[in-house]
Amino acid sequence: MKNCVWCQRPVTSGVTLAAMWRWAPLPSPNLCAVCQKRLRPLHAPQCPRCGRQQSTTKVCHDCERWGDSWVNHAIFPYDATLKAYMQQYKFQGDYRLRLVMQPYLRQALAQERYDVLVPIPVTAETWLTRGFNQVTGWLTDQPFQQVLTVDAARKPRPQSSKTRQERLQSPQPFSLQPGATKLLRNQHVLLLDDVYTTGRTLRHAATQIYLGGAKAVTSLTLAR
Amino acid sequence: MEKSQLFGRRLPLEQAPASGHGIPALRQVNGRWRCQRCQQWVATTDYLPQQIPYCRHCLNLGRLTAHTKLYTIPEPNQFATLTESPLNWPGQLSPIQLAAAQAVKRYTMAGRDQLLWAVTGAGKTEIGFPALAWALQQGWRVAWTSPRVDVCLELAPRLAQAFTVPQTVLYGGQALPYKYCPLTICTTHQLLRFEAAFDWLIVDEVDAFPLATSPLLQLAVKRAQKPTGSHLYLTATPGRDLQRQVQRRQLAVTYLPLRYHGYLLPPIQVRLVGNWRQRLSQPRLPGAILRRLRRYQQTQQRYLLFVPHVADLSPVQHALQHAHLDGGVTVHAADPDRQSKVQAIRDQQVTSLITTTILERGVTFPAVNVVILGGDDAVFSTAALVQMAGRVGRHPDHPGGEVICYCHSQTRAVQRAQRMIRTLNRKGRRLGGRRP
Ligand SMILES: [Zn+2]
Ligand SMILES: [Zn+2]
Repeated sequence: MKNCVWCQRPVTSGVTLAAMWRWAPLPSPNLCAVCQKRLRPLHAPQCPRCGRQQSTTKVCHDCERWGDSWVNHAIFPYDATLKAYMQQYKFQGDYRLRLVMQPYLRQALAQERYDVLVPIPVTAETWLTRGFNQVTGWLTDQPFQQVLTVDAARKPRPQSSKTRQERLQSPQPFSLQPGATKLLRNQHVLLLDDVYTTGRTLRHAATQIYLGGAKAVTSLTLAR
Repeated sequence: MEKSQLFGRRLPLEQAPASGHGIPALRQVNGRWRCQRCQQWVATTDYLPQQIPYCRHCLNLGRLTAHTKLYTIPEPNQFATLTESPLNWPGQLSPIQLAAAQAVKRYTMAGRDQLLWAVTGAGKTEIGFPALAWALQQGWRVAWTSPRVDVCLELAPRLAQAFTVPQTVLYGGQALPYKYCPLTICTTHQLLRFEAAFDWLIVDEVDAFPLATSPLLQLAVKRAQKPTGSHLYLTATPGRDLQRQVQRRQLAVTYLPLRYHGYLLPPIQVRLVGNWRQRLSQPRLPGAILRRLRRYQQTQQRYLLFVPHVADLSPVQHALQHAHLDGGVTVHAADPDRQSKVQAIRDQQVTSLITTTILERGVTFPAVNVVILGGDDAVFSTAALVQMAGRVGRHPDHPGGEVICYCHSQTRAVQRAQRMIRTLNRKGRRLGGRRP
């Protein structure tokens, strides 16, 4: 018998629980029915720009304040379930939990149109302590290009501990890898990140990607 | 870092401390990796990029990988003996409590591993006070631990008031940093961070989940205790394993079969009601249950209705409303409003609460009846059933009340729970216990 990769309870293929959720697709064979049910994808109505779930289909306040036409797609609302997931996966460093999201990312990426997939990188310091990039952990066999590097000195504090104001004012932390322009010229680039909070990080990344010659940049995040 | 932080502990540190020695956090044994903190085997699937294994079992104490080292400084026994008792408790023990407290203290002085088997509502915490005061006076290092964080949180301020020694509290997400103190109050999980540290360990609610089912935590208790140390288990519902240790005289035992107010425990009354779960999908509940709850409501008696699963909460509520009964308030472990709902019934603002086993222990309501729906469900252990029944009759002004267990069929767990209460009441009667 297999155990749920998230909650460790046995995954029953039997009658009781599975039958109750039969109508739902089973996107992750590594999850038990309870955990699958906890993961509720975003649904309409959403902000057409950032993907936030809301009561109307109008552009949300935050996107209006940006005043650009950025397009982000997201899979889950950043609710208590996703926070608990990120806490264990990213902050406690439970790399095995990447399996929870791999099927969802595969499905979402299949619906995106892009030429080059660029995951948001982690700092060298994070590599030393966490030991992995939480974003690339979700990728299985999808090709991607690590064309961005991130400067630790410019990213002094984790994003999650800043106020909105501080985040919006944060300086450009990204730069392009040598040879990046060869990969980016005239391409539609899809940025991949974990959580869309203010959109600051993704826009910083996009600025660099455009400098590399890309013709379009959009983004996909696990959560909004 | 203060040197004393490492006394009797086992901590992963980024940098080697000035003193103390380190061991690899993960060790390879016959080709498999084993965690040196929790002693569990690392699954072959649990690795970081570059095939670096890490332990998932004790992850919430901070991740350990094959690159981590654990540091320790052997416990130096640096606490002074006290000329005066550190106990500063204005309360008084009843004669029966006092007899139990003296027995516990005697076993403690003799260095025996022991069990205090005290019924729900006996006041077992205070019964441990004289022994604890003696131990602290000897300069012993003591830990009061429980598998349940809510027990620790409730206990810490009481111990801080009752004992005049420095104390430190440890649990996941605690607010204050750890200090080296004569008295440590922590979850049993946190004991994984200690090694041969304590002269005496008190394990409160020893039968509670997850300690009772977790070899990892049982090992943590063993390893945190000094080789020369001993422990005291506190429980109202010892599992069969503990009872066996008592029979084999590996554990000394002190019984306290009477509540502090001197009344006997309410017995569990079992009623067979057929396949209630099938009817619940209608949503309906068996007439016998509805009649009883209606009577409670008409006579304004409060009740707790226990259901086996979170998923049962709202169908049961609907079935009650369908029968024109007050559907009450539902609460479960992950309920964001859990605290306020529990407070509401404590304050007697609501008359009924439909809940899962989270309220089985620790929470005291002045006067309630307990109704258990599906007591034969596998989630209800003997201990859980006795604990649920133990919510009834705790207050001296309201020592009575009913415990009704509705089942589809009789189970071992239900029968054992009935038997445990009967046995305790038999012992209680010999001590002069009365029926409410
Ligand atoms: Zn699960
Ligand atoms: Zn471990």
